[in-house]
Amino acid sequence: MADATNEELIGQWKNQPAPLLPLLHAFHDRDGYLSDDALRAVSDGLKTPLADLYGTVTFYHHFSRTPGGLDAPRVCTGNICCMRGGNEILETLKAQGKAAAEMPCSGRCDEPVPVLTGHTTLAGTSADNLKPTPSPLPAPYPGVNEECLFSNIRKEGHNTLEGYQANGGFSALTKTLSSATPEGVIETITASKLAGRGGAGFPTGIKWNAVAECDRHPKSIVCNADEGEPGCFKDRTLMDYDPYALIEGMIIAGFATGAPRGFIYLRYEYPETNALLERCLAEVLEAGLLGNNIQDSGFTFHLYVRRGAGAYICGEEGSLLNSLEGKHPFPRNKPPFPVTHGFEDKPTAVNNVETLCAVPHIINRGADWYQSLGLGEHAGTKLISLSGDIKRPGNYEIPIGLPLKTLLYDWAGGPLEGRSVQAVTMAGLSGGFLGHQILDDLTLDDPCIRSHGSFLGAGGIMVFDDTRDMVKAAHDAMAFFAHESCGKCFPCRIGTQRLTERLNSESDNLSHEAWTEEVNDIGEAMKATSACGLGMAAPNVTDSLQKYFPDQVEASTNN
Amino acid sequence: MINDPNSAIAADLSITIDGQSTTFSEGETIYEISKRLQRDIPTLCYDDRLDAFGGCRLCVVEVEGIRNPVASCTTKASDGMVVKTAPPKIEKMRKTLLEMVASENRQVDVDPLRGLASQELSTLVNKYGARSGRFAGAKSGTTNLQDANPFILRDYEQCISCYRCVRVCAEQEGDYAITVANRGFDTQITTEFNNDLRDSDCTFCGQCVQTCPTGALADKKALRSEELPEEIKKTRTVCPYCAVGCSIDLMTKGDKIVGAQPAMEGPANKGALCIKGQFTYDFIQHEDRLKKPLIKQADGSFKEVEWDEALKAAAKGFADARAKYGRHSIYGIASGRAPHEAAYSMQKFIRAGFGTHHIDNCSRA
Amino acid sequence: MSNPLKDMDKPDTIFAIGTNMTECHPVAATGLKKALTKGAKLVVADPRKTRLAELAHLHLPIRVGSDVALLLAMAHVIVREGLTDQEFIADRCAEYEAFENHLKEFTPDWASGICEVPAADIEQAALWYGKAKLGAIYYTLGITEHICGVDNVQSLCNLALLTGNLGKEGTGINPMRGQNNIQGAGDCGAVPANYPGFQPVVNPEFHKKFKEAYQQPDLDPGNPMTKVTALNLCGQEENGIHAMIIDGENTLVTDPDKNHCEKALKALDHLVVIDIFLTETAQMADVVLPASAWGETDGVQANTERRVQRLRAAVPSHGESKPDWWIISGIAKELGIPGFEFESAKDVFNELCSLSPIYKGLNWDNIGDGNYQWPVPEEGHPGTPILHQDEFKDGKPGLFKIIGYRDPAEVIDDDYPVWLTTGRRLQAYHTRTQTGRASGIDYLLAEETLEIHPDDLGDWDIADGSTVKMASRRGEIELKVEATTRSPRGTVFTSFSFAKTNVNILTGSGYDPVTQTAELKVCPVRIKPV
Repeated sequence: MADATNEELIGQWKNQPAPLLPLLHAFHDRDGYLSDDALRAVSDGLKTPLADLYGTVTFYHHFSRTPGGLDAPRVCTGNICCMRGGNEILETLKAQGKAAAEMPCSGRCDEPVPVLTGHTTLAGTSADNLKPTPSPLPAPYPGVNEECLFSNIRKEGHNTLEGYQANGGFSALTKTLSSATPEGVIETITASKLAGRGGAGFPTGIKWNAVAECDRHPKSIVCNADEGEPGCFKDRTLMDYDPYALIEGMIIAGFATGAPRGFIYLRYEYPETNALLERCLAEVLEAGLLGNNIQDSGFTFHLYVRRGAGAYICGEEGSLLNSLEGKHPFPRNKPPFPVTHGFEDKPTAVNNVETLCAVPHIINRGADWYQSLGLGEHAGTKLISLSGDIKRPGNYEIPIGLPLKTLLYDWAGGPLEGRSVQAVTMAGLSGGFLGHQILDDLTLDDPCIRSHGSFLGAGGIMVFDDTRDMVKAAHDAMAFFAHESCGKCFPCRIGTQRLTERLNSESDNLSHEAWTEEVNDIGEAMKATSACGLGMAAPNVTDSLQKYFPDQVEASTNN
Repeated sequence: MINDPNSAIAADLSITIDGQSTTFSEGETIYEISKRLQRDIPTLCYDDRLDAFGGCRLCVVEVEGIRNPVASCTTKASDGMVVKTAPPKIEKMRKTLLEMVASENRQVDVDPLRGLASQELSTLVNKYGARSGRFAGAKSGTTNLQDANPFILRDYEQCISCYRCVRVCAEQEGDYAITVANRGFDTQITTEFNNDLRDSDCTFCGQCVQTCPTGALADKKALRSEELPEEIKKTRTVCPYCAVGCSIDLMTKGDKIVGAQPAMEGPANKGALCIKGQFTYDFIQHEDRLKKPLIKQADGSFKEVEWDEALKAAAKGFADARAKYGRHSIYGIASGRAPHEAAYSMQKFIRAGFGTHHIDNCSRA
Repeated sequence: MSNPLKDMDKPDTIFAIGTNMTECHPVAATGLKKALTKGAKLVVADPRKTRLAELAHLHLPIRVGSDVALLLAMAHVIVREGLTDQEFIADRCAEYEAFENHLKEFTPDWASGICEVPAADIEQAALWYGKAKLGAIYYTLGITEHICGVDNVQSLCNLALLTGNLGKEGTGINPMRGQNNIQGAGDCGAVPANYPGFQPVVNPEFHKKFKEAYQQPDLDPGNPMTKVTALNLCGQEENGIHAMIIDGENTLVTDPDKNHCEKALKALDHLVVIDIFLTETAQMADVVLPASAWGETDGVQANTERRVQRLRAAVPSHGESKPDWWIISGIAKELGIPGFEFESAKDVFNELCSLSPIYKGLNWDNIGDGNYQWPVPEEGHPGTPILHQDEFKDGKPGLFKIIGYRDPAEVIDDDYPVWLTTGRRLQAYHTRTQTGRASGIDYLLAEETLEIHPDDLGDWDIADGSTVKMASRRGEIELKVEATTRSPRGTVFTSFSFAKTNVNILTGSGYDPVTQTAELKVCPVRIKPV
């Protein structure tokens, strides 16, 4: 569509569902940035107020308002990439005269450092060896139990329709449409104890049931593929290597809840995934597994990919829905919850990629099987994205309840030679740090992790070895939250800024006592009063820093 | 409402706030009910004409059985809820939040001429003793002094990102002239492409100014009288322009009219005004005003005279016409702009004075 | 208005015709905008693409003066599609059958030829309004300032009666009155045909009542005379008008056919003008009496929803200016007219209440918070926010009126080939005697322009921003042009706010035979570059 006119682009998208983001992307792709003229045309075409549109566009990190912005290299300066030379790459590229800019963690912590240029992910360890690189596959299963999500993922050709079907793909859908009832599907999912794998851990069956019971139409299934949490890259792997499982899971979710449409809200930083999903959807539609009257079952389901534009907060479901609807992506006030008032105010199941990908497996092999995959009382499996100072970073599918030690040392090879693990993060960054003091007894399940004041979340674990400055790590983490704070609520908007300033030892001249009091007062207010999880979780960083590394804090505040 | 179907149900819903039990109707928020019970819950992002936003988080309250405090403005009451609006823990966090807010602004105390709600921040900061100077750090917002419009000062250095301005423009005015650009601490209230207000969809109704709780958006015209020493006095009246009949408070310092503010209780406007009601009051004390009666001289010029002479001259013309042409030669035109008393007197003047119905007003124009 | 302002966000379907509400009644328009965000459908019929039209789901840019044709065709569709409220018609209306018969020939195709909008759009507008659960009509001077103003209003009434969209919250026929107290002027009896409270002068009962109350044994039992007639009779030997008193109106600029008006005022033996400024009209007076302005005087005004509200003085009167009632009473007393011993605005208002049945329950003290909308027939009555709730105001059934389409008084021809329509702008009030003296307004609106469609400018070989001569059968003015698609092709627009470009030199082609309202909205003109 390089030569498409404004009118053609608007005509193409105007009557599509959730048209704003794809239309903006169409202009962004055509022109290489979003010009005033483009915004005027979109405002006019979608009858959305121009000022609103302008504000919304400026909210997103990756919508460029200057010519050439789309193709400017954007270098990941997330926590892990900073440890792997992200800043140096950025400086080198700038020195080479490129309009390079930083970007927050872009989900390649297993193979740093990614540099996004146009719609291509380059990766390399220095500015000289950047090259287009597909995302890494999970390593062969190192465990003793059975995998679920990754059971087929390493098979050659599994991310083609043919390959997927050869491995039994779409049999769950066929089975569902031919012999199951929506109630039956929900019963199975409920019995499996599958719970939200994006981090909130809400039981999937109960969520679907709430949507199914609502009598307001049309309902929607929204897949939260806005994997923005630093240190998390598991959904990327699922979508890159098992995309049809997601599609199949969503169609089944639609059947179970009575939703005739679904959206995959994909983070901007996965351009290759975006292209792949678009291709897969076209194939599945062509094969009659999607669209009107699927396999003559009378069930109709339409599925759309919508690409985000760079905003961590859009992983929060209220923000995501606002973003999808073309509104300013502030979180929504809850209640009401999306199950009753979601996309376009209609009942909506918002599920994570990992959750939805588990669905076909559960349908095929049964609720008891899935439940039994966990250790002890824990049901099922969880994907963990492991990164940082560890020999074999990558995605691992663990039985829930696995000792952290097993994952770190047996599966991932432990820290680099001669080093020891000083701390790990939980839930990417949102769970803050867990210090070496407690790691030996930790099991990877929420009851255990929560007893230490943290949570498993989406399953991102970054490892920091004994050479790392934990105050600096905390600063970088807080700087990320400050950068991503949407600005809706006071405690988060001001708090993340003030905490970042206080973690920057160079610019802070408070006494240790005053520092502690200020940081803890801010943290307390943020945790208790923030409007969404971002602001509530950010103080985990400062809390855990003080808890496990009081000496480093004191050293940094006394200089 | 004669037949309110909810009234029966409403009696059954009850909530306990600070130990006081009360009934409420479905859909009411904790904040609304608390306000009814005269609980003074602090807030900076609330304007009861707008959808509750839940941004400032000052209105959080403790609800029994819920771990975290909830924003009372966005939380609907449910039956049997037990709420504490000001336990010490919450009050401490409110103080912290206010100290945080105070730390991002250059100025907390602003002239009340800036706008109707302009004292909200300083009032709360005083109430909570939040002038501590804690949390020093970067300031947010960039003041736009380039915008030369004569009505609205855009002093965003005092902005606390409550978005009342943006929301009032969208929800109340339906103009969508201003927006929230960027995000987080870099948030900036602006128009599309950072243009001047004149080049946006702004209609200069001034609603953003009047709802701003810090005076970041301020009434430039009123601020011209900032230096006058007298106290501001407000007089409730009704706008003199179109027939919507918006209630308005005229602000005076001594005998000088210094500004206008909308009356939130105005039955016809509920706090809304347009550019005319908000900003065009200064014709009243304009130098062109007639000060004395005038009588036209033979050469066509006017001569200032005393009232007595003027009334006699006015009356004589009518007496003469009646004598010469009869009472049907006289006609009166009343004003659709003057008050009832003018129109009533005029028609009575014609009907009682001359016994005719030679009376009309300007509605045929 | 039949319904209160607070109802404006309640309809599910809004039909706005001849109202530039976002500019002329901006605060009222916010109600409609809120209805839109709640999902209401908006149909706007207006020759110009006003802001309201931009917000509409359907804009009918009808040719100026073709409203009756549009409304007949809409009624035709509503009847044809069975969208009438038969219960409402049976219970509350009369003469439906004749009306139904009358409608048969007025198809959307027929109207399309007159209104110059697609028949399908007329059909759609009718379907939406006809299917509305709560359909509300809003109109302003775009309906009334025509030779067929009364026909227009009655056509709108027909639509509301057909669909039962009356007497309920969120419905109604809602004219937006123009001036702050134009409603009040009528309420107070400052109209030829009615005593205060709309008590007709021809009714013997009321004649007797006022003969006594005003101690005027010679009170005419009839013979109301409108201003338009009066201006025509100025200076005339036989039955002429020779002395006039004008309060607070810049007749010379606001009234149509300025030259005629100027001639009329000049022909008077005696002209008294009460005003706050030495307006163009005041300059023609023999005696000019300075009135206290708004903000300097206590008083009462009634808004477009019949709400009676208090005005309060905030500052002393400027110079030696005095309240209008004081001035008029002063002249009356000089003339020995009884009953003008008022000492305050309160005295005047309370006398009005005592003589007006619709104000009977009101007095100076109980209207302080503006809680009453008349009629308030007795003290303690809550007022009447919605008219015609169970029966019509006059207690009679709603009559369907048989109305036919008429061309405007003047139509375009070879000599005057362009339609001119006039109106108002947001930042100016009427002739700018007030807003023009408010500081800062010039920043937004410094001069008047003539709005012309860019394609017309091209065809007529006129440059955007250049000055043109615009002439009608009555006169000629010069003004600057502005290219804008707000104007449809073949129709130009300007406001009457600037005395320098007084468009009312051109207007005045005709008057409604019933109300004598001038056809200010239609005037064929020709436009030539200077």
